[in-house]
Amino acid sequence: MTTPRAHRSRRPHKATAAALAALLAIAGAAGCSSKAKDKDSGKAGAGGVKTDVGVTDKTIKLGVLTDMTGVYATLGKSVTQAQQLYVKQANAEGGICGRKLELVVRDHGYDPQKAVAGYSELEPDVLGFAQFIGSPFVAAVKQRITTDKALVLPQAWSASLLGSEYIRVLGSTYDIETINAIDFLMKEKGLKKGDKLGHVYFEGDYGENALAGSKYMAEQNGLTVVEQKIKPTDNDMTAQVAALKKAGVKAIVISAGPRQAASLVGVAAATGLTVPIIGNNSAYAPQLLGTQAAPALEKMYYISTPSLPIGDDAEGPSKLAADYAAAYPKDSLDNGVVAGWTAAETFGEALKRACEAKDLTREGVDKALLGIKDWNAGFGVHDFTDPSAPSSLESVIIKPDKAAKGGSSVVREAEISDAAKSFKR
Amino acid sequence: MSDVLTKPAPEAATPRTRKLPGPRVYVWLAGFVLLLVLPFYLERFWLQAGLFAMAAAIGAIGLNLLTGATGQLSMGHAFFLAVGAYGYCAFAGDGADGLTGLGLPTWLAAVLAVGLAGVAGGVFSPIAGRLRGAYLGIATLALIFIGQHVLFNAHDLTGGFNGRDVPPFSIFGLTFDDSELLVAAVPFGTAEKLWYLGLVLLLAGGLFARGVLRGRPGRAMNAIRDHQIAAGVMGVPVARYRAAVFVLSSMYAGLAGVLLALVFQRTVPEYFGMVLSLEYLAMIVIGGLGSVSGAVVGAVFVSLLPQILTRYSDSLPLVSEAGTGGVSPGEAAKYLYGAALVAVVLFLPGGLVRLAARRPKASSAQPSGTEGNDR
Amino acid sequence: MSTFVELLLNGVSMGSVYALIALGFVVIFKATEVVNFAHASLLLAGGYVTAVLHDDIGFWPALLVGIAGAALVGAAIEFLVMRRYRGHDHSVLAIATIGVDILLVTDLTRRIGTDVLAVGDPWGDAVLEIGPLTIAHTRIAAFLAAGLLITAFLLAFRYTSWGVAMRAAAENAETAALMGIRLGRVSLGAWAVAGGLAAVAALFLTVFPTPGLERATSLAALKAFPAAILGGLDSTTGALVGGLVVGITESLATGYQSDLTFLGRGLGELAPYLVMVAILLVRPAGLFGTKELARV
Repeated sequence: MTTPRAHRSRRPHKATAAALAALLAIAGAAGCSSKAKDKDSGKAGAGGVKTDVGVTDKTIKLGVLTDMTGVYATLGKSVTQAQQLYVKQANAEGGICGRKLELVVRDHGYDPQKAVAGYSELEPDVLGFAQFIGSPFVAAVKQRITTDKALVLPQAWSASLLGSEYIRVLGSTYDIETINAIDFLMKEKGLKKGDKLGHVYFEGDYGENALAGSKYMAEQNGLTVVEQKIKPTDNDMTAQVAALKKAGVKAIVISAGPRQAASLVGVAAATGLTVPIIGNNSAYAPQLLGTQAAPALEKMYYISTPSLPIGDDAEGPSKLAADYAAAYPKDSLDNGVVAGWTAAETFGEALKRACEAKDLTREGVDKALLGIKDWNAGFGVHDFTDPSAPSSLESVIIKPDKAAKGGSSVVREAEISDAAKSFKR
Repeated sequence: MSDVLTKPAPEAATPRTRKLPGPRVYVWLAGFVLLLVLPFYLERFWLQAGLFAMAAAIGAIGLNLLTGATGQLSMGHAFFLAVGAYGYCAFAGDGADGLTGLGLPTWLAAVLAVGLAGVAGGVFSPIAGRLRGAYLGIATLALIFIGQHVLFNAHDLTGGFNGRDVPPFSIFGLTFDDSELLVAAVPFGTAEKLWYLGLVLLLAGGLFARGVLRGRPGRAMNAIRDHQIAAGVMGVPVARYRAAVFVLSSMYAGLAGVLLALVFQRTVPEYFGMVLSLEYLAMIVIGGLGSVSGAVVGAVFVSLLPQILTRYSDSLPLVSEAGTGGVSPGEAAKYLYGAALVAVVLFLPGGLVRLAARRPKASSAQPSGTEGNDR
Repeated sequence: MSTFVELLLNGVSMGSVYALIALGFVVIFKATEVVNFAHASLLLAGGYVTAVLHDDIGFWPALLVGIAGAALVGAAIEFLVMRRYRGHDHSVLAIATIGVDILLVTDLTRRIGTDVLAVGDPWGDAVLEIGPLTIAHTRIAAFLAAGLLITAFLLAFRYTSWGVAMRAAAENAETAALMGIRLGRVSLGAWAVAGGLAAVAALFLTVFPTPGLERATSLAALKAFPAAILGGLDSTTGALVGGLVVGITESLATGYQSDLTFLGRGLGELAPYLVMVAILLVRPAGLFGTKELARV
């Protein structure tokens, strides 16, 4: 029984052989193009402009590593669409440096493996990255970014990303944002020395970086921080509120997602813990105004954000709001739109300046960005001259507002608190 | 299945292996040579994808020993991967980044990290030994949550949310980092060098597991899977075997973790979550339970599918590019992966490897001798 | 003291919702011996239908349709997938449910997108104040609804012919089949019941103090694993007790996390699993589970 069967099994496997042959063919084809090591650095292209990776005479390719199916899907979608809008408008005006912009989008779904793979895939083809969501992933490829010299504008505001001239954080980092938020609480909401301050924060870069800010403020001003660490999967803040109530906090900072903020504010209002609550930029989304938490949010919730809200009357926001609403009528206007737009515009500005200097190489663009100072993209003033600092220390304090476009209105204009200036990262 | 009945007696298998190598061997050799030359042609993206697949394959082999061959459902595989990855960093790290590091030679660190994963498996095996079936599966789920908690909270050891840098592996004076090394005019970076390390590890791991499965231990493990009490009655030391397989499987996971860490160049805590554990289970089911080849095929399928879909999303029908609405490549990959899992269970019991084994003739649908033995 | 009572009450009401999920989980296990990893998708499906329909047809009809919808999804999974499996390995079937879950959750989250969908419940954010204690109406409703459903289910399990058939099938499927019990129907019923219970749980997971249904809501189904296991996978009473233990543990671990900092912060999610492992060490089949008797 055994012998004939064993015999048969040793017949050549035609299918396997064919598959292998096919593979070899593919490998051979790939060999012609990909491994040719000719980094055409410093080649002069159209208009006498030097170029290297990702730039041809007709196009400038920019990478976008976003999350549209994972935990940061809300942010990723708004940011990406805003950037696509920017590219469309820039191209309609003739592009930059006589070249059309092109975004290459990869959705990593907040999966480290896909994020790193996405970087490996896009890096050889693009000039730089107009978006990269997830600071742990940026950190994971940090070494490679340094050797590749491609400019990366992460959509993450963790202070751990600072210090590289190729990775530039737009707007204030979470710690600065939190410091400004507590400054607001102390100046305008009666929080004073000796008080207890609750801080509900996400596990991870965002929450823990924000916590560094509130700890600094506590140290400076004699406050006590009552910490409540949560996970992105926690949606019900009842137990946290009970604990904060027991501790007798006089104000609460929340560095979490919009849902957690809504739950926290709702429970606090319902259980009689009527203290001011302020959140980071990412702790609010206008969608919340459609839920039952809306009245409480409007009453006692504030948000500290690095830029003007999209609903503001100033020229930049109102134009963007109108354009975005026209391009994506079904999607809500949130702060992700502003963040995405600002990043795209910053990249565009760097490209324009690099073009003037006749150098659209990666290093040329990096250098151009380093020269940008006191520049207003319409939502706030940025200064890119110091790689070890975020491009801005300002925060605007806004509050949820059903009547306003984008669901929020300004409470305190852009301001840099003294503590934010003295804070050493 | 009727495997048990048709399985050739062990004595019958022995003379077969002494004969001259058949064409099958040449096919394997050709495949292996192909794998050896790939780094000279493929770009980094594909090499990296291949390395992820190799690491996954090593891990999946380990899980297949435990779940496929011995019937112990484990959802805690990602935990042992984390032990391997972080263990390597802690043993090899020099402490310059302010995190605990013993500064050992990296090859020793890798060996110790694999050992540590085994120890972690050993520590858990008293619990594992008491539980069966679904209870064991869900109890091992606790490991994931414990692991995540430790990874995020033990800052000095793990670097918390930021993860920690992975010291590049070096052995015999060769360092597996981005310092360029020209081989036949092709620049060798991390991915190219690690490719060969990955191949060696996968080959060694695969052969060892094959040896285990084909020998006495393999039959004992299958007996435990098919009927634990009957196995005990027949004289298989059930408790000892179960504990040993648990430890061995954890070591495979630890090795996969070390390789993954080397490819990532930085460990990130989010990665080692429940989704990863479920992916490994999916791999062995899709590939084929209980065999080395099944684990490898499944690992390649599950880890390459999303990469290929994302890469070629522009030219695929029904899939729209990310950011344009419609089904995004990420979602398409998930649909396919879910559907493949269900379809394999329903229509292809035995997994993808059975597909290859079935091909030759419909009448000889019986698995060939070797696969029958693997099972 | 009042904090403790408040946390306890919160834990009990959350626990009763977890018990609903765990009960469905246990019912499926009892009838088919399959660990259902697709429970998250049942939860999300029920919640989604309710949330989408409440504007047009009102809350209560929407809830009923949601329950029916989730039951239908459950039955469909049984009919299209579980029934078609020809092997005998229940672990493999459990892994197939992972595939089902991935399919359904991907589709539902794609539909939900980035929205937070309100379910339009009548309770709003009203609270009941008893002395220093405050309890949300939604929580009282959750507790009552869960209590009612679980009691009804336990009675049905004991006294109806469906319940008898189910218990017989759980006892010994082959004998039950020989006695004329149609196993297919039993398992179809089990999946449908589990779906319906999950939909009710979804409702209480998306009302105040949670803002609404969104893509991460399904993750609550993970709480059902420790609940079902520590109570005993084949015990309905166990599911109830397990749910409460998980709810209370989670609530207390969160509320007192500042006193437990030596264990690291953010213990809420982990604590139920630690309790589960501790219980399993003492009782490998859970608190109320039957020890497996084996025939060789």
